[in-house]
Amino acid sequence: MSVLIEAFKAIKEKHLEAKRIVEEATAQAEKLKNEAEQKALSVYEEAYKTTLSRAEQKALDLKRKAVKDAEHELKKFLSNAEDQAKGIEAKARKNYKKAVDSVLNIILR
Amino acid sequence: MESTRVITEMILEEAKKTAEHIIQEAQKSAEEKLEKQRQLGVQKANELAQVLLKKAESEAELDKLNSMANGKIEANWVILSKKETWIDNVLNEAKNELKILTQSKKYLPILEKLITEAGIILGGKELEVSMNKQDSTLPVKLDNIAKEISEKTGFKTKLRLSKEKLKVIGGAIVRTANGKVIMDNTFDDILVRREKDLRFEIAKILFK
Repeated sequence: MSVLIEAFKAIKEKHLEAKRIVEEATAQAEKLKNEAEQKALSVYEEAYKTTLSRAEQKALDLKRKAVKDAEHELKKFLSNAEDQAKGIEAKARKNYKKAVDSVLNIILR
Repeated sequence: MESTRVITEMILEEAKKTAEHIIQEAQKSAEEKLEKQRQLGVQKANELAQVLLKKAESEAELDKLNSMANGKIEANWVILSKKETWIDNVLNEAKNELKILTQSKKYLPILEKLITEAGIILGGKELEVSMNKQDSTLPVKLDNIAKEISEKTGFKTKLRLSKEKLKVIGGAIVRTANGKVIMDNTFDDILVRREKDLRFEIAKILFK
């Protein structure tokens, strides 16, 4: 009889220990959930900030590229203009006397 | 006793497994929540990012177009100013040639023609002729010119040399006797009067 009582006692003790283990685990789980809850906002903000910052950088890069492209085009325009100006100068030198004579003819006719 | 030990071990084992499961589930749930929040953050930021990028793209394109338009204007201006300089040079050279002409024998008939044309335009009658100091000393045949004007206009014409001395390259100003109607046939005024046409003509010849 005493053996049986001893056995029940042992089982009850272990049962209580098992209950404590589960309760501790439940408390830890609750703590994890609470921590996640608290961390959620900062994770959201961090992800938001990082993504937006990347987009802002991309936007900045786009503008820089546009400025660079425009500068390149501008150089091309001015270079073409200088070439054209040289062509104009060559023609003007060649036809200068003819143009002066034409003015005189118009004035004196 | 052995069976009791087995039972208690089983109870503990089961409790440990349950505890482990509870914690794993909680960890999983926490990770999922954080991941969900992270994704939400990315999604919300991406919505704004799309707007930002679209705005940046259109601003960049606009800046580029503006810059290129300014470049074209600047380039055209370089060419235009070069052309204008050459046209100015031609006009100045023509003025110099006219100054040289006034010193030559060819000038007198030209001056007389300018006075005649002015007199005809004014319709003849009593007219006064003004010239520069040098031209006033030339043997201009005013009587012959008056005769020609009379023939062309049908009105008896008399020309009188004014005491006024013009500060012009050459040519003459002819006025009616009352001074109300003036015909300026000086080279200087012809150049000003016809400048627009002259510049167009010069450009046509210079740059073809």
